[in-house]
Amino acid sequence: MKKLWLIATTTYRERIRSGMFLILTFGIPLLMIIAGAVGFFVASRDEGEVPTAIGYVDQTGEFTAVEQVTLDEEVIDLNATLPFTRYPTLEAAEAAYLDGEIDGYLLIPEGYATGEAVAYFSDEDPGTVVEEGLQMFMRRSLLAGEPEWVFARLDDLTTYTYVSQTTGEAIAEGPGLVIRLATPAFLAMVFVLAVLFGTSQMGAAIIREKDSRAMEMVVTSLRPLELVAGKVLGMTLLSLTQFGIWTVAGIVALTLAFANQIDLQGLVIPWGALLWGALLIIPGYFLYALLAAGLGIIAGDSQQAQQLAGIMSLLGLAPIYILGPILSEPDGPLAVGLTLFPLTSPSVTLVRTIFTDVPLWQLAAALALLLVTLAFVIWLVTRIFRAAMLNYGKALRPREIWQALSQA
Amino acid sequence: MSGNSQNPVLQVENISKTYATVRAVDDVSFDLYPGEIFGLLGPNGAGKTTSIRMILDIIKPDAGRIAVLGGPMTEEKKERIGYLPEERGLYEDMTLEAALTFMGQLKGLSRPDAQQRVEANLKEVELWEAHERKIEALSRGMRQKAQFVAATMHDPDLIIIDEPFSGLDPVNTRLIKELIYRMAERGAGIIMSTHQMHQVEEMCERILLINHGERVLYGPVDDIRRRFSSNVVEVGLRGDLTAVPGAQQITPQENGSYRLLLNDGVPPEEVLQTLVQNPDVVVQRFEQVETSLDEVFIRVVGRSVEEEGEDVQRGSDGR
Repeated sequence: MKKLWLIATTTYRERIRSGMFLILTFGIPLLMIIAGAVGFFVASRDEGEVPTAIGYVDQTGEFTAVEQVTLDEEVIDLNATLPFTRYPTLEAAEAAYLDGEIDGYLLIPEGYATGEAVAYFSDEDPGTVVEEGLQMFMRRSLLAGEPEWVFARLDDLTTYTYVSQTTGEAIAEGPGLVIRLATPAFLAMVFVLAVLFGTSQMGAAIIREKDSRAMEMVVTSLRPLELVAGKVLGMTLLSLTQFGIWTVAGIVALTLAFANQIDLQGLVIPWGALLWGALLIIPGYFLYALLAAGLGIIAGDSQQAQQLAGIMSLLGLAPIYILGPILSEPDGPLAVGLTLFPLTSPSVTLVRTIFTDVPLWQLAAALALLLVTLAFVIWLVTRIFRAAMLNYGKALRPREIWQALSQA
Repeated sequence: MSGNSQNPVLQVENISKTYATVRAVDDVSFDLYPGEIFGLLGPNGAGKTTSIRMILDIIKPDAGRIAVLGGPMTEEKKERIGYLPEERGLYEDMTLEAALTFMGQLKGLSRPDAQQRVEANLKEVELWEAHERKIEALSRGMRQKAQFVAATMHDPDLIIIDEPFSGLDPVNTRLIKELIYRMAERGAGIIMSTHQMHQVEEMCERILLINHGERVLYGPVDDIRRRFSSNVVEVGLRGDLTAVPGAQQITPQENGSYRLLLNDGVPPEEVLQTLVQNPDVVVQRFEQVETSLDEVFIRVVGRSVEEEGEDVQRGSDGR
């Protein structure tokens, strides 16, 4: 166990200092933060001047227009009253605009009730103040006479509680519901990315081990299992570090981009999804990493190892290309089958939890099958390792693999 | 060598190994004692590396028994063994110090102890100045010394070194040789596999020569050389010597004389008579000489050590 940990920490320490790791790990978050910052700047773009007055022309003749709207702090971060002046014709509005009486004018066309769009005339970029003001004007004019609470409720139409029809469990309100749905999706995405990046790195690490020709000295100091498991653990820790950095960067980027729009303190963490996600993702990742290590052992060179790992990681991507059938029938035989199949169970189960309540027996069976398969693959890989570790620069032939396994 | 009265460091009894249809090692036995430097010799493909891998428990023998440090191999015993394999390397992207510290830790040393020993050993082999350099930046000779340090820094009781002098200049060869002697004096049993027969003659007390997986010679170097000496004569003469009936090899010497390796069963007197009767040469000196291990090797194996050396350079697998 001590030597397993030594292999893991040494692998971790050496790989984390490599140029490729640093570029990949910090380059992607940098891009994410830049993207977030761009979103932030777009969201907080110039609010524009607070206009003195805006004109409007009502060609429908059915508007009971308000004379002014009050923009409060929640909307544009300032208190302002925006007066609206009615003009009988477009020409009159245009003349007033040209005289500087108004900053722009709104045309409510005759066909507005049947879907024709309103038009705002001005030579200046309206900015968020005018945009908000126009929206409030239209809302208040359409619902003239309604009590104030109607307008208050209209501002948070999507605030509702999600209650599971089967269990009666109330999940959360508004953003909490979003998080409830987004968490499994995020975990599934993390798993798929981890499999994609992790397996190719794992295969390459084993090939590097073979290429270094240090194997023969190393295996006279520890058990093959300690070497393989140590490598897998070290590379897993490396992947976790990478995804930890990416997750933090993602949160920073999202916070920057949506700082004004989501009440982060009000979010409710779906612990159940997180627990099952962790229970399935961790052994699931180890399973892929071990298989990638096994392919690295069998392969003759790093290119061959990465090709083999690439083919295998396609299985990890299963939820992406079979999303349609899963969506249409989340409790169907295909979805249940892939939930139980160890190579697809982490990702498919997580995706299913978004759309349905996966029965406990299926979750437990998926976990049990995953753990049994993991134990079998550990046995398999260490046996193959014994036969292949001294095969410098040569791929292991099927006959040699069979011999290694039958001798065990 | 401390003598056979001591318990052997290693006992190999009748081990055999077959790969598919190839009998790589066939019923090989030998012992190694504390403080002994033992030569494991044989042409490429003779079964040396397979034998070593069986001793180290990398592969299992099909038959036979191996007792390492008094019994079967265990994980604890692996920490008392040093191994410099023929196929060797260190992690290219690690610094010399980090790579050796890691190897020391694998052999059970604590990190501080490993670091301390790395420094001391690197200073001893005059490599400390390069301790922060990456392995990939080291010259062949420097790597060779680093590998040697990796194999021996933990003061093992059983040391197996395969071609320890390859890639070394004479100064560094002497340096490593001194270290090997010192380890033997400390009581370590050392198996040295090499094609450099003069080093074996100089350093080893006993040898095992295997060919086609079988033991063909085993015993003290002096006894073996003596056994083969009746077949080697050195002749000083005027004239050129190209072929002599009864001699399988004629090697010109630096002093102008010729060394003749005689065929089995051919008495030296018969060859002398033939030479004297040869009108093209005048024999000035004729003496029976103690044969070199190189000549023994050629007689037993049928090819020259130089050819073997070339094979090693080409990266033969050494089985």
